[in-house]
Amino acid sequence: MSVSYQIVVCAGLAPDPLQTLEPVPGPALKNELALPAVLDPWAAHALYEAAHLAKSRPGSKVYLVALAPKAKLQQVMMTVAQKLPFELIALDGPMSGFADAAEVAAALSAAVSGIAGLDRERWLLFGGWESATRGAGATMQMLAERLGIIDQFLAVDELRVEEDGSLRVWERVEGGGHQVSLCEGPPAMLAWATGRLPEPVNNPQIGMANMRGVMPALQRARPAPPLGGGIEYRKVALPAQQRQTRVVKDAAPEEIARELAAWIRE
Amino acid sequence: MSEPVERQTMDVDIVCVGFGPASAGFLTTLGRGIVQDDGAPRFESPSAPGVPLQVICYERADDVGFAVSGVVTRARAIRETFPDLNPAEIPMAAPVREEKLVYLLDPVGASRRPWVLRAADRALRLAGVRDEAFELPYLPEFLAKRDGLLLSLGQFQQWVSQQVLATGAVQVWPCTPVVEPLIEGERVAGVRLADQGTDAKGNPAEVFLPGMDVRAALTVVGDGPVGAIGRALDERFGLPAEHQRDEWAVGMKMVIELPAGCELEAGTVIHTIGFPEPEIFGFFYVHPERVASVGIFVPSWFDSPVRTAYRYLQHYVQHPYLWRHLAGGTLRSWGAKSLLESGRRGEPRLAGDGYARIGESSGSTNVLTGSGVDEAWHTGALLAESVLELLREGKPFSKENLEATYVRRRRASWLDKEARVAERARDGFQRGFLTGMFGMALAGFTGGRLAIPARRRPSWKTRPIEEYYAGRIPRAEMEALRRQCAAEGRPLHDALMTRAGWPAIPYDGRLLVTHQDALLLGGKVQAPPSAFDHVVFLYPHLCETCGAQVCVEICSGEAIRPGDAGAPVFDRDKCVHCGACFWNCGQRTPEGRTNLQFRAGFGGLHSSEN
Amino acid sequence: METILVLLHTEADGSLGRNAWEACQAARAAAEASSGGGRLVAGVVGAGARAAAERLGGLGAQRLLAVEGEAYAVSRYATDAAAAEALARAAQATLVLAPGTSRWSRALPGVAQRLNAKVDTHVTALSCDGGALTISRWYYRQRIDVTLARQARPWVLLLDGGAFPAWAPTDGQAQVESVAPSPPAVRTRVEGIESPAADRQTIRPDAPLLFVAGAGWTKKQRDGQPHVEEAASLILDFVTRAQCSLGSSKSLVDLSGEGQAVLPFLTHLHQVGQTGSTPRHPKGLATCCHGEEPHVVGWRFIADRRAVNLDANCGWARGKADVLYVADAFAVMRHLNALLDG
Repeated sequence: MSVSYQIVVCAGLAPDPLQTLEPVPGPALKNELALPAVLDPWAAHALYEAAHLAKSRPGSKVYLVALAPKAKLQQVMMTVAQKLPFELIALDGPMSGFADAAEVAAALSAAVSGIAGLDRERWLLFGGWESATRGAGATMQMLAERLGIIDQFLAVDELRVEEDGSLRVWERVEGGGHQVSLCEGPPAMLAWATGRLPEPVNNPQIGMANMRGVMPALQRARPAPPLGGGIEYRKVALPAQQRQTRVVKDAAPEEIARELAAWIRE
Repeated sequence: MSEPVERQTMDVDIVCVGFGPASAGFLTTLGRGIVQDDGAPRFESPSAPGVPLQVICYERADDVGFAVSGVVTRARAIRETFPDLNPAEIPMAAPVREEKLVYLLDPVGASRRPWVLRAADRALRLAGVRDEAFELPYLPEFLAKRDGLLLSLGQFQQWVSQQVLATGAVQVWPCTPVVEPLIEGERVAGVRLADQGTDAKGNPAEVFLPGMDVRAALTVVGDGPVGAIGRALDERFGLPAEHQRDEWAVGMKMVIELPAGCELEAGTVIHTIGFPEPEIFGFFYVHPERVASVGIFVPSWFDSPVRTAYRYLQHYVQHPYLWRHLAGGTLRSWGAKSLLESGRRGEPRLAGDGYARIGESSGSTNVLTGSGVDEAWHTGALLAESVLELLREGKPFSKENLEATYVRRRRASWLDKEARVAERARDGFQRGFLTGMFGMALAGFTGGRLAIPARRRPSWKTRPIEEYYAGRIPRAEMEALRRQCAAEGRPLHDALMTRAGWPAIPYDGRLLVTHQDALLLGGKVQAPPSAFDHVVFLYPHLCETCGAQVCVEICSGEAIRPGDAGAPVFDRDKCVHCGACFWNCGQRTPEGRTNLQFRAGFGGLHSSEN
Repeated sequence: METILVLLHTEADGSLGRNAWEACQAARAAAEASSGGGRLVAGVVGAGARAAAERLGGLGAQRLLAVEGEAYAVSRYATDAAAAEALARAAQATLVLAPGTSRWSRALPGVAQRLNAKVDTHVTALSCDGGALTISRWYYRQRIDVTLARQARPWVLLLDGGAFPAWAPTDGQAQVESVAPSPPAVRTRVEGIESPAADRQTIRPDAPLLFVAGAGWTKKQRDGQPHVEEAASLILDFVTRAQCSLGSSKSLVDLSGEGQAVLPFLTHLHQVGQTGSTPRHPKGLATCCHGEEPHVVGWRFIADRRAVNLDANCGWARGKADVLYVADAFAVMRHLNALLDG
C-alpha cells in the first residue's frame, strides 16, 4: 500500500553550535543576531528524514514551520533550501532558548493549524527531540497534544513504513539501545534524534524551485506572540570550568600507562 | 574524475561566482535595478520566458558571512550605494575616529632588521620613546581613511546579504563551490559546480551528485584572489600584455575581546610598521563594545622561506605597544586570507564574451592606500550599472558590449585613477624594506609619477632556507634541525624561529593559544565528510626535491604538514581556504603549473566576525 | 502549600531504577524546602507498580498511588500520558517530580499540556530562594548554567539522572491506592528493545570510566599514514578490558575516509558533546583529541578528567583536564591494554 504523507517539520534556529556564547541580561545571548545561525541540528535531521520519506512516497509534501527572527531565517534558508523541497511557514520571533516551551508550542500550534488541507490520515508531525538552545525536549510533545496527536515518539533514529502503512519506529533508550514500536499509521509525532541519514547534498534546481515560495513566506511571516511564559530567571551564567591541570611531559608511554592503570583501578 | 559522468544542466541569466564585497556590490545594485518600484520585475528572463530575470550567486563557504579582512575603508563606493548607511545597524562597525601610523621597535632582538633600522631603534630608545614604539606625527594623506568606516567583513557581508536577499530579485547560495568555467570557443557559457558526495580523491561515494552545469548569458567572476574560476580564465585567455600576478600577501587576523577597563575608543585605527619583521605590516582596529581586530600581512616580497604568519602574529600582539591594551584579552576569532597585491598590473582581461571580472581577482586592490573592500564593491556596482544598461538596450553580454560599458566605466572611475598612482608604488620593496618605504612615499606624494624601479622576482621563488640563514645557523645544525623536525613530523619554521632568537610563546589559554586551538575559536574549520581534497600535490616527486616546502610553513591552518614520503600531507578539515599555499608553491609541473593544485572546495573557517 | 507528586515508573522487571530513587530523594528535599512544608504523594506506573509503591512506605508520602495493568507495562506515550495524567489529577499535584528517563521524557511534557502546567526538564538541582522553589538546568547544550523559578502551578520537573543522591528505602507503612486512568485509544504496539550484543556493548552509563576517542585516532600519524585498524582494535580492547563506556567526538562519528566507515563500531549514540550526550561518570579519559569545546561540553559532568594528547599546549592543558599526558595515544594505549590484561 503506497501512502503519501503530509509531513510538517518544526524547526527553530540555533547559533552555530561551535560559536562562543555569552549570556546578557534579559536573559539573551550577547550578539545573538550577529552569530552565524544554523537550523537546529536535531530538527535538521528531522527535515532530512521528512524529505527522504517524501521522496520515496510520491504525492507527499514537506512543510517546514520555523519560528525565528525573519532576517536570520532568510539567511539560514539559503543553506537549507538547496537540499530538499519544502513549503516554508515562517513565524517571526526570537531564536533564544530562554523562551518557554509551552508558549513556543502554542505559537507553533497556531501556525500548523493554519496550514490548509492537512489530512489526519496522511499527517506526520516531525521535529527534533531537543533544541540546541533550550534543550528541553518538551515542545514537540506539547505541540502534538495541542494538535490532538497521541502517538508520539521521542529520540527517533529510524522510521520504516511497512507494507500495510503502519509505522515501525526506533527510539533511543538508555544504554545505547532502541525501543521498537509499531504504530498503526498517521497521525503521529516523531521527535528525531540523529537518524541514520546523511545531510542531503545541494541541488541547485531544488533551490531555485524552493525560493519561489520561501521569499513570499518570509514576507508573510507573522510576529510570534510573547514567549516568556512567566519564567523568572534568577541566574544565567557561563560555568566556571578552569581546573589546575598537571601537564606530564617527557614521560615514557609505559610510565604513563602504569599511572593510568593505577588511576583506573582506584 | 576518470569516468565521464552525466551532469544536469540548469539555465539562468546571470551567474555570479563568490559572494564577497564585489559580488555584494554587484547584486545590491543589480537587485535594485531589475525590480520596479512596485516590486514587479523590470526584465523578463530570456532563459525562462515568463519569469523574472534569473540571477544566482554561488558562494563556496558555508555561510554568506564567512569573509576575512581587516577592513578600514573610506567606504566611498559603499556609501554611494547606501547613502543613509548607519554604522550602528551593522554589528562591529564604527566610524573611524582616530588614525595613527606607528613604527614598532624590535623589543625581542630577533627581527631581521637592516642596520639603519637597528640604528634607528637605538636612537629612538635614547630619545626615550615609550613602549618600544614611535608614533609618527603625520599620517600620509594617501593612507588616511578619515570619514571612513571600520568593519568586520563577515558582519558586513551578513548585513548586505539580508538587504540583497530581501529584494527577492537575486539568490545567493552558500556551500556551493564553483570549480570551473564552461568555455565554448571564446565564450564563457556558465560554470560547473563541485561534485558532491565523493571520497577525498574525488571518486563517487555513497551519495554522489555530479556538479551541475549552470549555463548563463553572463558569468560574473568575483571569486577573489585565488578563486578557481578567475585562475582558469587567466589560463585560458591569458593576462593582458605586461600584466602579471606576482605580488601576494597572506593577511592573518585575530578578533580579540579587549580586557575590561581598556579605554580605547571604537573607531581607533593603528597601522604599524617595523615589527615583527620590517617587511610585515600590522594593524589594530577597535570595534564597538571593546572588541579589536589585530593582524599582520606577510608579503610575497618578504625574502624569507620561513613565512609563518601565526607565530609572527603571536609575537606581534605581544609587542609592548599593543600588549598594554591586549594583556588580559581573549581571542574570539581568527582568520586568514590571501591578498593579490599586484594591483592594476595584475589586472586580468576584465570582460570577454559572456563574462566579466570584478573584485580583488580583477586587480582592484590598491596597495598604496591599503584598501580593497570598497574598491571591490565599486567594481561590482560598476558592472551592475553596465549590465542594467545592456539589459535596457536589449544588447547581448558580448566582449564588445561589456567593454563599451563596464570596462569604460572602470577606466573612467576614481578606482582606476588611484590604481594607476599605486601601480608601481611597491616595487621598491623588491630591493629591501627601506627602499620600499621610500618608493611608497615617492609614489604616494607624486601621484604615481615617480617610483623606485622594480627588480621582478616571482612570488614563489624564495631563497633556500640554508642560504637565508647562512652565517646565522651553521649548516650542520640546520641539517640536525631538519632531521629532528622531520622525525617529529612538525614543520621546520617554529624550530628555525626559536633558533633565530624568537622567544617561546607564553601560552595563556585565552589570547595566546596554540594554532590548533585558534582553529577552534569563534567557530571552527570544517569540511563535510564526503568531499574531495581541494589541495593536491600533482607530482609528489617534485615536492621531495623541494627543500623549502614553503607551502607547509605558510599554511594558515596547519592543514599542510610535512609527510614522511617527501610530499606534504593535506588535512582538509583544517584548511581555511586562504590559498597561500598556492602562491608559495616553489615547484612547477612539466605543464608549467604550480605543483600544488588549489581548487575550489567545501568547508573552511566557520566564523562570521573576521 | 505545595503538593509534590513524585512520579515513578518501574523497570521491565518490576523494580525501581536508580533514577527513581534519586527522584524520591529530590522530592523529600523539595518537600522540606517548601515554605510551610510540602505534602508528598508518590505515584508509580508500570508492571509491578503496586509492589514497587509498597517499598516507598518510608518515604513520608501521604498517599501512595499506583497504575498497573498490561497496557501500562510498556513505555508508550498514549498509555504513559494517561497514567501520569490520572496520577497527577488524583494527587492534585502542584509540583510533579519525575526522573528524566526516556519513558517520562517522552510522556510528561504532553501531560503538562493536558494539565495546563509548565514543564522544565534536565533539572540538575533544586533549591529554595527567598521562599520560592528554584531549579537549575543547562541551556545551549550545557554551555549556560541557569537557575529559574516559576509562579505558575502545576509545574512538572524532569530530573537528570545522577544529579541527585539516591534515597535508600526505609521501612514504613505502605497503603497503596490503585488509580485507573481513562483508557486511551492505543494505536501503537511496543515490540521490544534492541540492544547491542553484550560483547559489542560499548555504552555503559553506569561505568566508572568514560573513554572518549577523538578524531586524532583516524588521522595521519607520524609516519604520514593513518592506522585506523590498529586504532579500532586498541580502542575496543581497552573498552572491553576496562569495562568502561565509550564516547567519541562528532567529527570522529561523522568521518568516513575513502568511502568506508572509519571506526565501524562508533555510531551517533556514542557522540559526546554539543549535539551528543553529556554522560555522567566519575572518571573520564580523552585520547587523540584536541580539547575542542564540544568535548568540553560533553565532559561537563565528568568529575576526574585525564587526557592523552601530543600537544602540550592544547586546550586540555588549559584548565579542562586534571592531568594531561603529552604522549602518543597509540603507544600509551598499547601499554595500558597490556597492563589491564595482567
